[in-house]
Amino acid sequence: MSSPPSVVDKQSLASRIGYRRVRRLKKLALWGTVALVLTVVLVPILWMLHTSIRPQDQIFTEQLQLIPETISLVHYRTLLFETDFLTFYKNSLLVAGGVVGLTVLLSTLGGYGLARIDFPFKRRFARLVLFGYMFPAILLSIPMFIIWNEINLTNNLVGLVLAETALSLPFSLWLMWQFFQTVPQTLEESARINGATRFEAFKDISLPMAKPGMIAVALFSYAVSWNEYTIPKVLMSDRELWPLTVGLFTLSEGQRVFWGQIMAASILIVLPAFVFVFFLRQYLLEGFRTTGV
Amino acid sequence: MSTDLSTNLRNIWRRRSGYRDSLYRFLSRRRVLAAITILPALLLFTFITLGPILWAIAAGFYEIPVFSPQWEFVFLDNYAELLAQETFWVSVWRSVLFAGGSTTLQLVAGIGIALLVNRSFKFSNVVQAIVILPYMIPTAVLGFIALWMGNAQWGVINEVLLSVGLLDQPFSWFGNHSTAMIAVILTSSWKFTIFVTIMVLARLQSIPENHYEAARVAGANTFQVFKDITLPNLKSVIFIVLLLRGVWMFNKFDIVYILTGGGPGDATRLAPIYAYELGFGLTRLGMAAAMSTLLFVFLAGVAVVYFRVLEPAKEVRTE
Repeated sequence: MSSPPSVVDKQSLASRIGYRRVRRLKKLALWGTVALVLTVVLVPILWMLHTSIRPQDQIFTEQLQLIPETISLVHYRTLLFETDFLTFYKNSLLVAGGVVGLTVLLSTLGGYGLARIDFPFKRRFARLVLFGYMFPAILLSIPMFIIWNEINLTNNLVGLVLAETALSLPFSLWLMWQFFQTVPQTLEESARINGATRFEAFKDISLPMAKPGMIAVALFSYAVSWNEYTIPKVLMSDRELWPLTVGLFTLSEGQRVFWGQIMAASILIVLPAFVFVFFLRQYLLEGFRTTGV
Repeated sequence: MSTDLSTNLRNIWRRRSGYRDSLYRFLSRRRVLAAITILPALLLFTFITLGPILWAIAAGFYEIPVFSPQWEFVFLDNYAELLAQETFWVSVWRSVLFAGGSTTLQLVAGIGIALLVNRSFKFSNVVQAIVILPYMIPTAVLGFIALWMGNAQWGVINEVLLSVGLLDQPFSWFGNHSTAMIAVILTSSWKFTIFVTIMVLARLQSIPENHYEAARVAGANTFQVFKDITLPNLKSVIFIVLLLRGVWMFNKFDIVYILTGGGPGDATRLAPIYAYELGFGLTRLGMAAAMSTLLFVFLAGVAVVYFRVLEPAKEVRTE
């Protein structure tokens, strides 16, 4: 067996400059890459924070100020007490709650059914769900606008929840379907041998094991609804019912853009998402693990 | 008294569990179980996805006045008009460029970042958590951050470039014909790269450690381990992510609309933006519907070819 050339190279490199130095170089390269990635990810987020806590006259300055001289919460105060921000926030929370609830419920049930129950046209249905992605969301919103208008669902939070569920449901359904396939069927079978009904086997055996998948779906559908801009823009003309993403645009008047307030609003908008990511990251990864298996 | 109570409770419990048993038995029937699991999703999917899609396909054959219920059947006129327009073809071509460019960037960067943060080093957990953040930033927020940082007069990007001497005068990144498309691709990739990272990272974490150990014992170096263990395991997830991101980027509307509104001039007027302009700007809903149908057929065609040629067969495995 001849050893591969690159191993030889590495050994000779190591013998020339010493193992310790090679290790140190490797470490340096690793940390250099990590630093680069973190810079690209964090700078926009930090700049958002930076702008939000500077007083107006220091935002519009052509002098580069990386460390803010004075910290001021004036934008946050204006935002909370003099704009409709809290109304938008409430709308976003309601819609996100609805979308997450509906998506998790339907995709969990549907995913189980698809994975465990044989019925005609199952494969066709699978393809259909996947092809549902191919239709542009903006163009889905045009027919939705007309149809929802007919049945009085425009300018209605329930209508918005339904519309946004259209964006999160296909992927979630597919994810839960894959997920239930990784739950061993033998566990359910042994429960049934021990006298459990089929429904109990689903409820007490498979469902608890699908928890990571459900949390992943919850996070995904939360991200979809919290982020969605196009559909509420098309379906909701009533300002009182706007979610945050559309409401954010009320913070600019023509050419005048209130950057301080917008950045303060952005910070408050992304905060809950960051908290979720921090605590639920492992579930998210575990839930996505089965996709594309 | 207390014995009475406990007997009562036991009886109630027994009776309840009797009801529950029969309820469970009822729910366990194959048809019932199918009805409560698959039917709700199927019905909602039909109502909120299939319905609007079919509606749009039908509407493409009509001329639809916005404020009157009278549709005029024009058959293929909308399609003929679209296909004869240069604007249509240019917008589709731009979408292909945008989707191709951003998907490539997202795949390369996304896989790279996933490989990086999957290694265990000091604080790798914190780094992992931070790296996932961009995916949770709403598009509208991202749009404002990018516009603010790239602002010609007050933007920090210009300030930095001016102060280090890379630029002699402020430059409008989103307002310039030659840079707008690249700026839009970079901005949207900042966020959507992380989708690739999440999917790939999830897959990476499921590769059994002993595969790596076996390879190491057999004398494989880092590159060989990557080529023979990591890459084959990632193949299926790369296929699915490539398809999803490609389709989603091709259909991307919001971030581009927020950043440039399709401008300057028509530099970033992608196909979905043109369709939106047709539908809501020029109030030609029939044309917009015809255009969405065309894009849909185009994407479905690409997807079919993709599945036929590359056969990531298990993509929608039905056991």
